[in-house]
Amino acid sequence: MSARSPGPAEGPAVLVDGMERELARERTLLRRKVSVAAVLTVLVMGSSLPHMLGLHSLPLLPFWFTSPWTQLILTTPVLFWCGRDFFTGAVSAFRQHFADMNTLVAAGTGIAYLTSLFTTLFPQVLIAEGLPADVYYETVAVILTLVLLGRLLEARARGQTSEAIRRLLQLQPPSARVLRDGQPVEVPVSMVVVGDLVQVRPGEKIPVDGEVSEGSSWVEESMLTGEPTPVAKAAGDAVIGASMNRSGSFTFRVSRVGADTVLAQIVELVRQAQSSRTQVQRLADQVVGWFVPVVIALAIAAFVVWFLISGNPVLAMLFLVSVLVIACPCALGLATPTSIMVASGKGAENGLIFRSAEALETAGKLRTIVLDKTGTLTRGQPEVTDFERLAGGVLPADTLLALTAALESRSEHPLAEAITTYARSQLKDSELPAVEDFEAVAGRGVQGAIGGQQVRVGTPRWFDELGINTASLKPLVERLEVAARSVAVVVVDGRLEGCFGVADPLKSSSAAAVAGLRRLGLHVVMLSGDARRTAEVVAAQVGIERVIAEVRPADKASVIRKLQEQGEGPVAMVGDGINDSPALAQADVGIAMGTGTDVAIAASDITLISGNLAGVPAAIELSRAAMANIRQNLFFAFAYNVAGIPIAAGLLFPLTGWLLNPMIAGAAMAFSSVSVVSNALRLRNFRPARLPLPTT
Amino acid sequence: MQILAAAAPLWRTIDQPVALKGLVAIVGLLLIAWQLWWFLGRHGGGVAARQSEAGLQEITILVDGGYAPSRIKVKAGQPMRLAFHRVDPSSCLAQVIFPDFHKSLDLPLDATTSLELPPTKAGVYPFHCGMNMVRGVLEVE
Repeated sequence: MSARSPGPAEGPAVLVDGMERELARERTLLRRKVSVAAVLTVLVMGSSLPHMLGLHSLPLLPFWFTSPWTQLILTTPVLFWCGRDFFTGAVSAFRQHFADMNTLVAAGTGIAYLTSLFTTLFPQVLIAEGLPADVYYETVAVILTLVLLGRLLEARARGQTSEAIRRLLQLQPPSARVLRDGQPVEVPVSMVVVGDLVQVRPGEKIPVDGEVSEGSSWVEESMLTGEPTPVAKAAGDAVIGASMNRSGSFTFRVSRVGADTVLAQIVELVRQAQSSRTQVQRLADQVVGWFVPVVIALAIAAFVVWFLISGNPVLAMLFLVSVLVIACPCALGLATPTSIMVASGKGAENGLIFRSAEALETAGKLRTIVLDKTGTLTRGQPEVTDFERLAGGVLPADTLLALTAALESRSEHPLAEAITTYARSQLKDSELPAVEDFEAVAGRGVQGAIGGQQVRVGTPRWFDELGINTASLKPLVERLEVAARSVAVVVVDGRLEGCFGVADPLKSSSAAAVAGLRRLGLHVVMLSGDARRTAEVVAAQVGIERVIAEVRPADKASVIRKLQEQGEGPVAMVGDGINDSPALAQADVGIAMGTGTDVAIAASDITLISGNLAGVPAAIELSRAAMANIRQNLFFAFAYNVAGIPIAAGLLFPLTGWLLNPMIAGAAMAFSSVSVVSNALRLRNFRPARLPLPTT
Repeated sequence: MQILAAAAPLWRTIDQPVALKGLVAIVGLLLIAWQLWWFLGRHGGGVAARQSEAGLQEITILVDGGYAPSRIKVKAGQPMRLAFHRVDPSSCLAQVIFPDFHKSLDLPLDATTSLELPPTKAGVYPFHCGMNMVRGVLEVE
């Protein structure tokens, strides 16, 4: 956590903007360096043209232009200004006993430059030996220009991924219309504080997060959630800063500003993901640490062997430089980060927030996916569909409803809320009796004392366990469960009094999303606290075959662990992020269904900003695309180097007379960087398979 | 362009004195051995973070062409605060990234910016600049 983390009034935009400017400056400088290097390189190549063609002079070129001294003057700024970073990087790494791509580039071009400098100053030494007094300035210039070009492409790729972040940040409007003493006043967003009342008119953006206090409207949240359809908002509904108000006017009370807003959190998560690394990357980094010293050893060995064979120091030096340059693993360093950056930026665009590179990596390897029923497959807004008084009950309906409502209003369980709402709507009198000794029994129900009577509302299973005879209930419970209803039974002083059937409608996206997951070859499991029969009916409706039912919230994590132990992993858990958090943490990949305002985003590896389950297959597809992309990149990065080393070392020379010019080695290496970066940028065209999905 | 150059003028055998050949071979082998030792051998060193009150381990790192110190030793299981003081204008150093902690920190020029990291298991955690050109290592032991 930064000690400089923005205060409540200061949005993340300020920090990111500063960083953006600096990165932009870096890109500008790099572009200038590449341009200068390119121009000088073309001149140096022109200058060395007659020599390359094996001529003493060309008719159109003046003599001085082809002089080694001209080439020296042209190449020196390329080495010392354009290529400065490679040398400082190499020195910094060297001091830390570390060798990386800078080491190879700096050593290769440095040696070629020094040799050429020697030839330029003392050509007679070589001529006396009967050797051509050749210089290799064009090699130095070409290699540096190509590597710089690779670096510029990398910076561009970074720029494009942070583009996603910038676009997110630009969504926030600069000012808000705050009610001060009942009068609307236009103030900058940074001056808005929690608790303020803010007015929003049609067509305006909502400045910060809050809760609607008055009015209603349709709000488009697609920029944050990827959901195309506007969402209805009325008093009590949460609104997200940066979303777009469509038709109505409303006033909302500010609940979060600055770095606490959903927008700021999304930005922070994307940045975090972009600065993490995958297992593959860790491995690649370790490989580079070994690879470079081995290459240096091979290069020196090539020099020694060729010197012993031929006694020709110039030839030996060319082999040395070729090996150093072709082996440069700079593309290896680019291979994973570029793909990760592009993919996480792409995810953010689609409302899929990956918390780390590992999350992106693991999501592609998933074999089993566990979906929580309530709130994930269903809307999580249950409604009472059936209410029946039971034979043997003595209480009148009104009394029964009042007792039930009194007890259930104390519970925060979604079913309890549904029952309370229903009971209240049936009662004329809004006064509820007082409850004493209230207790919620997790996964079972609630109990308490009301006016001397002991009242319990809970699952039929609970009453079985308590030893209350529920045999008479069986046909009713079965009928309700087959209709996918959750059943709650009311027992007063041990008497079965009433029975509620509660339905939690499926999200319209669920069936298509499950089908999408199965198409991706995943084993789909539904997890539910409901009775087995209810759960199975719901599962059948969305096309899930395997159901783990009657699981108490606390046991969800152990269910995931069991699946992992049974070798069905890696396992993903999809939940609504709050009460599922232990299970989300236990899973190899925890996927939270953000409802757009959940702060529980942080508990998961992947957050779907929209509550749309279609995001899950999309996230997995994206992850697979990214990992395939990384594998291709590693191939591009390594293939050239490994295949090039024997040629560069001159192994083919005795057989074929082939000798790899160091400049070609440089081109091959640059080509591998270009392949890697352009391959990673291909991910920008990623589109999740479109599912015909209305919002829920 | 001489893509695969024919042997002609460059490829020429020169009779070198045996002593010179021997010398080149020996120097070459020594150089190979030395660089392998330098890059791959075990090297101690590193600067230990100081203990402050409240169990926090603190160290200030100067960012000037590199990280000084670049090898930082801290104890496992204790929170730490790394203060980066950046004086190098190179924009490459404007950001420092701790990939294992999923942390990136922006370093304004001529200012000290701190990063607090949670207690960590023993291990070697590299960090690097935004362009992965300059590196450092956090050694937790």
